[in-house]
Amino acid sequence: MKALKALALPAALVVLAEIGARAAAPSDSVAPPSEVAAAFVQALADGSLVTATRDTLMSAFAGLAIGASLGLMTGILLGSLNVLDRLMELPLELLRPIPSVAVIPIALVALGFGYRLEIVIVAFACFWPLLILSRAAVDGVEPRLIEVSRALRLTPLQRTVKIVAPAVLPRVFVAFRLAAGISLIVAVTVEIAVNPQGLGYEVMTAGQALRPDLMLAYVLWIGIVGFAFNAGLVFAQRRLFGQAARVEAAR
Amino acid sequence: MKALAWRFGGLAVVAVMIALWGEIAALKLVSPVFLPAPARAWTALWQGFAHADLAAKLFGTIRHMIGGWLVASFFGVALGALVGSSKAAREYVAPTLEFLRPLPASAVIPVAIAMFGLTPQMAVGVIGFGSIWPALLASVHGFAAVEPRLLEVERALGLSRWQGIAKISLPSATPDILSGLRLGLTVSLILAVVCEMIAGLDGLGQWVLLAARAYKSADIFAGVILLGAIGFVANASLRLIEARALRWRGRRTG
Amino acid sequence: MTAATLIAFRDVDLAFGDHLVLGKLTFEIHEGEIVCIVGPSGCGKTTALRVAAGLIAPTRGEIAFAGAPVRGPRRDVAIVFQDYSKALLPWRTAAGNVSLALEALGTPRAERPKRIAALLKRVGLPRHADKFPSQLSGGMQQRLQIARCLAQEPAALMMDEPFGALDAMTRQTLQDEMLEIARATKATIFFVTHDLEEAIYLGDRVIGLMPHPGRIGIELKIDLPRPRNQVTTRESPEFLRLRHKLYDFIHASEKGEAA
Repeated sequence: MKALKALALPAALVVLAEIGARAAAPSDSVAPPSEVAAAFVQALADGSLVTATRDTLMSAFAGLAIGASLGLMTGILLGSLNVLDRLMELPLELLRPIPSVAVIPIALVALGFGYRLEIVIVAFACFWPLLILSRAAVDGVEPRLIEVSRALRLTPLQRTVKIVAPAVLPRVFVAFRLAAGISLIVAVTVEIAVNPQGLGYEVMTAGQALRPDLMLAYVLWIGIVGFAFNAGLVFAQRRLFGQAARVEAAR
Repeated sequence: MKALAWRFGGLAVVAVMIALWGEIAALKLVSPVFLPAPARAWTALWQGFAHADLAAKLFGTIRHMIGGWLVASFFGVALGALVGSSKAAREYVAPTLEFLRPLPASAVIPVAIAMFGLTPQMAVGVIGFGSIWPALLASVHGFAAVEPRLLEVERALGLSRWQGIAKISLPSATPDILSGLRLGLTVSLILAVVCEMIAGLDGLGQWVLLAARAYKSADIFAGVILLGAIGFVANASLRLIEARALRWRGRRTG
Repeated sequence: MTAATLIAFRDVDLAFGDHLVLGKLTFEIHEGEIVCIVGPSGCGKTTALRVAAGLIAPTRGEIAFAGAPVRGPRRDVAIVFQDYSKALLPWRTAAGNVSLALEALGTPRAERPKRIAALLKRVGLPRHADKFPSQLSGGMQQRLQIARCLAQEPAALMMDEPFGALDAMTRQTLQDEMLEIARATKATIFFVTHDLEEAIYLGDRVIGLMPHPGRIGIELKIDLPRPRNQVTTRESPEFLRLRHKLYDFIHASEKGEAA
């Protein structure tokens, strides 16, 4: 019953779109869902969809991996060393508000078009959420556990590995999920703005070629990829952390 | 007192970082085409204001960013109020919203271009579309999460529908809404820059892209510094408003 | 001579799905009376209060208030909830919270400050008007809720274990303050509690409910002299006798034996 209710609105919208787009035809900017579906199948068949998806996802994943791990390490470092944390507060406060897209021209001059440009921008964007949230997670580790580590005379490295890391893992995973969403969005944005590859580029070319059906097919596909990616991570989160993650994530 | 000392420490670190930047540039460890000396970036900033139209570009971006965000936020909050307060509406609408949440707003730029061409209207449409989602989703959540006991108090006191929304639901949802507005502003800045890059609209996005094409790294950095400044001021202003509006949150609950 | 009936339950059934919470519940509360409802956990005493307050409609039977059937919450019935922190608006000051009731009643703006000040004084919070609930202690928050309820100038006060979440000292203080307010305003009070001694101390009558479904198991008339005193009243032989009777009833109820 719940599933039916959830599908009611989209189904109604699709029907309205079909009627409305056919009535407004011919148009450069809208196409009926039936034609969009046809264009989607066509792009899938001739391989362009697959290539573009692969390009975008590769850049997104690579950037996510680099940015997230750098952010995580820095976050844990700052969370653990109070002095460093307070000194770096101002510099980070000044750097964080720089929009990731603003870094595009700098990277463009240095690297030119291609994968590296996208990976750098995505890494920059994914760095911040991991930094901020993992730092907060380390900060939020139950002080009692730190006392235990002192009583057991653990070295800083042992303490980090045996106590801090497992304690912050659920919240870090939530931050990772957030960064993953950002990685896809930023990758597509870079492609739309400047980079001639990937899903964003396909949307732009389709628009410029006055093929609204293909353009909308790609837009929809981007949405599906983003949704599937996030859903996959939510599933992984539940399997890996179960109840603990829901409690931690709610904090 | 101690807080002030740490602030100075932070400033010192920033100064050290700038000095390091200068050293790297002077030693040409990184090509000056890509990394200008800090002094050159600074000069480019002032030159831009004095002799070129950097000021106009700055205000262009600010205008694009705020205009779209304001209108979108208003409609987002209002729509969210309607959906969030009604269980039935939530059941039908929420799943669709959840599906649309991860969609990059920038993906609609080509559609907007097809509809409006490379015009300021296109930018307003895109920015509006992008910044309505955080406001809408936050508003739905805020209105859906009103403390049930307060809704009973509303019934017990005999408040009318509008009184209830204005005096109870809206103030209760305000923390969520403000957080959504802050996110929306970040999104609108990004979309403003991207639209300016693509459509050549008057703004910092266009400035930095043109500087990149001309390999003028100092000008690029000047633009990036200004964009960072806009982001900083926008975020800080909203945080200030949030702090004032939410000062009732006791230190007790932390 | 007994005063007029204000609240009347007549053969009230209340079912949540298949589960019958209240069964043929019948009793009356007279004007100016303080009636305390006690019973083991799950006997439906809070549900009975919520039905009387008009928050839930009965499945069968009738509740009448001053002769008229209850169709929903009434402006002249004030509800004091146990979870006071959730029932107050955290974003408004103490004065603002009291003002909410006046705004609902349509009191003219010019009159409000005076009435708010008087009400805060009545509950002992005159110097806390500009504080937020998060800055007030538990007892003070509950007093604030009572102040808001009194702003409605209610004919009846429905109090759902109002002092249950407070420490013993604060509880006793508020019990006496409540008795004083009742005496001054002559309000009718429907008081739900699980504390048997509190029920005897406060009430003119104590009604004990048996669970599954909730129905009257015992009704005691409390003839203790007023004004009541925390020390002397609680030591008096009559108090102890009533207490004994109630304890026996609860004990038997919990074991499932008929009273």
